[in-house]
Amino acid sequence: MGRFILRRVVQAVLVILAATLLIFLATFAIGDPFASSGEKAVPPDIAAANRAKFGLDKPLPLQYVIYLGNMVRGDFGIDFEQHRPVAQMLEAAIPNTVRLALVAIVIDILIGVVAGVIAAVKRYSFWDVLVTVIATLAIGIPVFVIGVVLVANVAGWGPFPSVPRSFTVQVPWYQEVLLPAFTLAIIDAAFIARLMRGSMLEVLRADYIRTARAKGLSERTVIGKHAMRNSLIPVVTYVGVSLGVLFGGAIITETIFQYNGVGYLLSTAIVKSNAPVIIAVVIFSVVAYVVLSTIVDILYAFLDPRIRLN
Amino acid sequence: MRRSRAAASAIALTAVAAMVLTGCSQKSNQSTGGSGQTAVGFPETQDLPPVAGKPGGTFRLGITEPTAIDPYNAQESEGILVNKALFTGLVNVKPNGDVYDGVASKWEPNADCTAWTFTLKPNQVFSNGEPVDSAAFKRGWERTSAKASASDVAYHLDEVQGFAQMQDGSASTLSGVDATDPNVLKVGLSKADCEFELRTAAPPLAPVPTVAGAADNKTYNDMPIGNGPFKMDGPWQHDKGIKLVRNDSYSAGPKANLDAVEITITPADTGIQAEYDGFNNGQFDWARIPTPLLTQARAANESKNQWISKKTAGINYLLVSVTTKPLNTADARKAVSEAIDRNAIAQGVFQGSQVPADAFIPASFTNAYQPGVCTACKYDPEDAKKLAASAGLTPGTEVNFQFNTGGGHEEWTAAVKQQLETNLGLKVNYSGVPFKDLLVNEQQPNATGLFRAGWTADYPTPGNFLQPLLSTQAIGAATPNDVANGDNRGRYSNPQFDQLLAQAAGTQDEAKRNDLYKQAEKIAIGDDMALIPLFARQQFRLANTAKFGNVNMDFWENPTLSEITIK
Repeated sequence: MGRFILRRVVQAVLVILAATLLIFLATFAIGDPFASSGEKAVPPDIAAANRAKFGLDKPLPLQYVIYLGNMVRGDFGIDFEQHRPVAQMLEAAIPNTVRLALVAIVIDILIGVVAGVIAAVKRYSFWDVLVTVIATLAIGIPVFVIGVVLVANVAGWGPFPSVPRSFTVQVPWYQEVLLPAFTLAIIDAAFIARLMRGSMLEVLRADYIRTARAKGLSERTVIGKHAMRNSLIPVVTYVGVSLGVLFGGAIITETIFQYNGVGYLLSTAIVKSNAPVIIAVVIFSVVAYVVLSTIVDILYAFLDPRIRLN
Repeated sequence: MRRSRAAASAIALTAVAAMVLTGCSQKSNQSTGGSGQTAVGFPETQDLPPVAGKPGGTFRLGITEPTAIDPYNAQESEGILVNKALFTGLVNVKPNGDVYDGVASKWEPNADCTAWTFTLKPNQVFSNGEPVDSAAFKRGWERTSAKASASDVAYHLDEVQGFAQMQDGSASTLSGVDATDPNVLKVGLSKADCEFELRTAAPPLAPVPTVAGAADNKTYNDMPIGNGPFKMDGPWQHDKGIKLVRNDSYSAGPKANLDAVEITITPADTGIQAEYDGFNNGQFDWARIPTPLLTQARAANESKNQWISKKTAGINYLLVSVTTKPLNTADARKAVSEAIDRNAIAQGVFQGSQVPADAFIPASFTNAYQPGVCTACKYDPEDAKKLAASAGLTPGTEVNFQFNTGGGHEEWTAAVKQQLETNLGLKVNYSGVPFKDLLVNEQQPNATGLFRAGWTADYPTPGNFLQPLLSTQAIGAATPNDVANGDNRGRYSNPQFDQLLAQAAGTQDEAKRNDLYKQAEKIAIGDDMALIPLFARQQFRLANTAKFGNVNMDFWENPTLSEITIK
């Protein structure tokens, strides 16, 4: 087991290293960030001073090594636009994204599991068809359509704050997070409903369910206690991976709702070709995803000996 | 050139391709030259009658995150909006470009305009109580021009003696600025400029208190202490907002009426849409409008007097490489210009929101505007063919045409390309590249053809169009084989034109100066067609005039915050 964990951790570190290298190289394709300011050419002296300030006058491999060294110490440098510490920008954005991801996952699970169970238990009924149709539709609708429709029709009504709104309007975080979380949750919920329905149907055919029924247990106990628990395993895997993705920031949803998370930070940085922020956010997303999926893998190995033995 | 960050990316979004095509095939015989009034375009609106000010009210609006609000690096209109509320320079500028007193009560140049004396109003203070004296200006100017600051906008000071030494790091004080008398600021210039006072309204020439420290002082960058009609209420909350409150110790002019201004940061790429949505959902009192929604916004708001439409000091044009074939003759450039149907594009692509240009100096300079000075700005495909033939621009000639992607320029540049192909039979090598690449391509000594370009004035003078874009000095290349580091990347050079500009810079009488500018424009645009003017800049805003009075658009296209009052 120790060796398995070690192997997964080493793999994770390699993936993260490879990702940093790739994104580092990719942002260099953007070109010289200091050659122009608006439509105006920047005088060569000033451009050179700026390049020196950001260490861009050094050879690329050296820049990368310096960056990695700083990164390990939690220093992501300063951004091109306002010369603010990138680590601070990330620090401000991460809690918002984590909150959004957790609420979205909770909504996911609630809707997905309930719908999936109903569809499986009342197989081929009106409810089953309804769940299947809605799930298929939900998977097909792009996130931005849901987001834009919600902003246009629901935001500003009842507990949901307006988008955009003056920044001084204080809104408790749980209100601010509701609509974007719901937007993010819809597609995942649909997936979970379908996963849940499938695995539930399989479990319901299993011998031990028949045994449970034969013992005279109530249908509620059979479904709730015996069937559901086992059918949740694929859902847990899916949720783990999905959480990793969500922690990395939901660019489209956060931008539509002007929600100050990691995804919004990234979309702004891309618009302004602000490479230090782009690199840091991408690294954070990769780390979040790799760490969570590694944890899921390790947990899985605990649950299922076949995995760790292979 | 101040940067426009949220540059109309929306223009491209919904202007349907079909409209472009139909728009371009229309035959328009309408001449845009000569009359001064153009047939297309939304009419300008008149300012509403002024309202007596009373204290109170909170004005709310959205902007995209500025690069800086600290004077040393405030640059795009968003940064200038906040900066002008926090700081008052030596002079102020009215929406129409007229200059009036700021901290200085009086200013005058010497006979040849190489030295300026600004007399400051007494007892001026920053909002922290520090005096606003001549030393405060010297401090601010040195902070902007110091090499270590690496300011993007230090060029505003490039006429001041000692600027070059500050920029290369060999000096730590601006030798041309004399602040020995706290009430008098003396400025020595390295070249004559009878309009230098206009530059002192630019944010980088604002005074700063001693607490400002160096340009990398983060505390001051995020919460500048200034001498303007407003002051910061807490530091800038990056990506969220900026709150300003009235500065009750303001004495350089009338105090502001508003209690507070709440500036919300909108997304970088969809900021204009967010402003518009925010206006419609009652969150903002001022908004820009995505181009595809202009007609709709006008219809809904004009009758309520909530619609503002103004021609402003800016122009969209085609930069032409005038030293390389095939556009190295005036006739060739005139042929290209006359083959472009500006009216059709203004109606088809821009839905009437842009006005075909008939001059290079915009109409907002009422005393220097020469309607129709660009004789080749009229659409005349027959004449264009004749000119092209005489200039060797035969059908099949290859002409490069580049624009920058992401700025909403796809549709109208495509229309221009099509018109050049249809009307002149040229083979247009049309390509969209990222802005930074466009700039690099323009700068190369072997650059050829046409490039999309735009310009908005930094200072309210016609000279700010002619000098940086067309003077020999502004090419910024030591030899024709060097990269052009200035703004005149088309490399137009005409000694007669340069001579007129130099003469204008040394002419104190405004009428005579404008006359020289007119002559210079006639040569560069009318005769030489050094670049191809396309559309005059016009701006549209929505303003909550039901709740607020005196809401107008200032020279930098921002709301006149210091005058706005609750009704």
